[in-house]
Amino acid sequence: MVLSAITEFAAQEPKLYAFIIGLVGAAILASVINVGAMAVVWLERKVMGDLQARYGPNRVGGRWGILQLGADAIKLFTKEDIIPRGADKPVYVWAPIVASATTMLVAGAIPFGAVIIDGKEIPLVVANMDISALYVEAVLSLMAISAFMAGWSSNNKYSMLGAFRGVARMISYEVPMGVCVISVAIMAHSLNLVEIVQAQSIWFAVAQPLGFIIFTIALITDLGRMPFDQTEAEEEIIAGYNTEYSGIRFGLLYFQEYNSMLLGAILLVLLYLGGWNGPVIPVISFISPMIWFFMKLLIVLVALIWIRVSLLRFRIDQVTDLGWKVMLPLSMVNLAWAVAVGLYFA
Amino acid sequence: MSGEMVAADYYIPLIMFLVIGAIVPIGALAAVKIISPLKPTFQKGSTYEGGLRPVRDAIIQYNVQYYLFAIVFVIFDVEVLFLYPWIYVYASDVIPTLGGVNIAVIDMLIFIVVLLIGLLYAIKKEALRWV
Repeated sequence: MVLSAITEFAAQEPKLYAFIIGLVGAAILASVINVGAMAVVWLERKVMGDLQARYGPNRVGGRWGILQLGADAIKLFTKEDIIPRGADKPVYVWAPIVASATTMLVAGAIPFGAVIIDGKEIPLVVANMDISALYVEAVLSLMAISAFMAGWSSNNKYSMLGAFRGVARMISYEVPMGVCVISVAIMAHSLNLVEIVQAQSIWFAVAQPLGFIIFTIALITDLGRMPFDQTEAEEEIIAGYNTEYSGIRFGLLYFQEYNSMLLGAILLVLLYLGGWNGPVIPVISFISPMIWFFMKLLIVLVALIWIRVSLLRFRIDQVTDLGWKVMLPLSMVNLAWAVAVGLYFA
Repeated sequence: MSGEMVAADYYIPLIMFLVIGAIVPIGALAAVKIISPLKPTFQKGSTYEGGLRPVRDAIIQYNVQYYLFAIVFVIFDVEVLFLYPWIYVYASDVIPTLGGVNIAVIDMLIFIVVLLIGLLYAIKKEALRWV
């Protein structure tokens, strides 16, 4: 049995095993996430097109415009690479690289579903740490750093404003988000994402609806999507922190936004929507957790796109006020609720 | 699949993730260097400012209000850090109870109330007002 051989090898050579699984996992996940993000970009353009009563991409790659993203990528790769004269060059060059590296750091600790082998559920996660929820939340907040690097180094006033807004927005919602993760961990009695999923015989979205709402809003804010995309509000500050980025550098930054959107949606599914839990589908029981996981993920993604199309952008002072004066006290209420339920009903 | 791995071993794969996450964009930038045209001119290198010629640098001294924001954030983020270890002890049996409730819970509730008073103070002092 291959599985037992792997387990034995892991027991004998833990460091080598960790190295190999890291290398293989990173190589696989880098491609999976990037292809996934391309699918998300396509999905967003198509769904937005439908919601706004227009076609969306429909020329390249048949009726559904499936190859549109490939065409865009070719265009970005062949564009001239311009660095503005006044830019702080090392910081300017490193911002997209930092963005990509932090996104991959999140991907390392997130379980991407599970498979059932011999009636045993095996989560697909590279680093199954005891504290993965804390780790993921910490690394998610690093994304503001790459946005700030991009905005500050461009030496453009609009980029600078976008960078200021990005950091202010991130720090306003970091605290409520952290408290929500704690509330989930209290109910699950664990900070391990796999154990949090396994603890959800009732979805945490049902067990603590207030926390679900707060976490969703904080997540949209962290991802910088409408109605919280003040960092790149076109009508106010051109394109925000990536105004001076063009060609492939812009492509990399833009792509990381969708990578993190995908990872954020996965995190929401894991923490509140029961992850890959669901009734086992008889014939294809091997991948039935994956099917549930992807169905939930797709619903969350479409919901995020729907929110983007439906709502108008807030002003930045409204956003920070909402974070500090409404979300933070409410997340404390949710924490008290989680403690009460966790102590007396669990 | 944990085997004999100690906690620190879980960070070895994450380092590989960091490395590969950095290699992918570096590779893309290297590819662009080879295949894309490069004809820099003076106008191309200027920053965008509504079509006019840019006036002065953007890297300036900024309002002290941003620091207040950052300080309040640090206070509350450290508070959240205190809550994390508390998750693991609040429901354990070894901690004595007071009137049927775990003392750790009461302690933490007092801590949260004190911090919320601090938040009220910060709001009252307009430390959180956006400029």
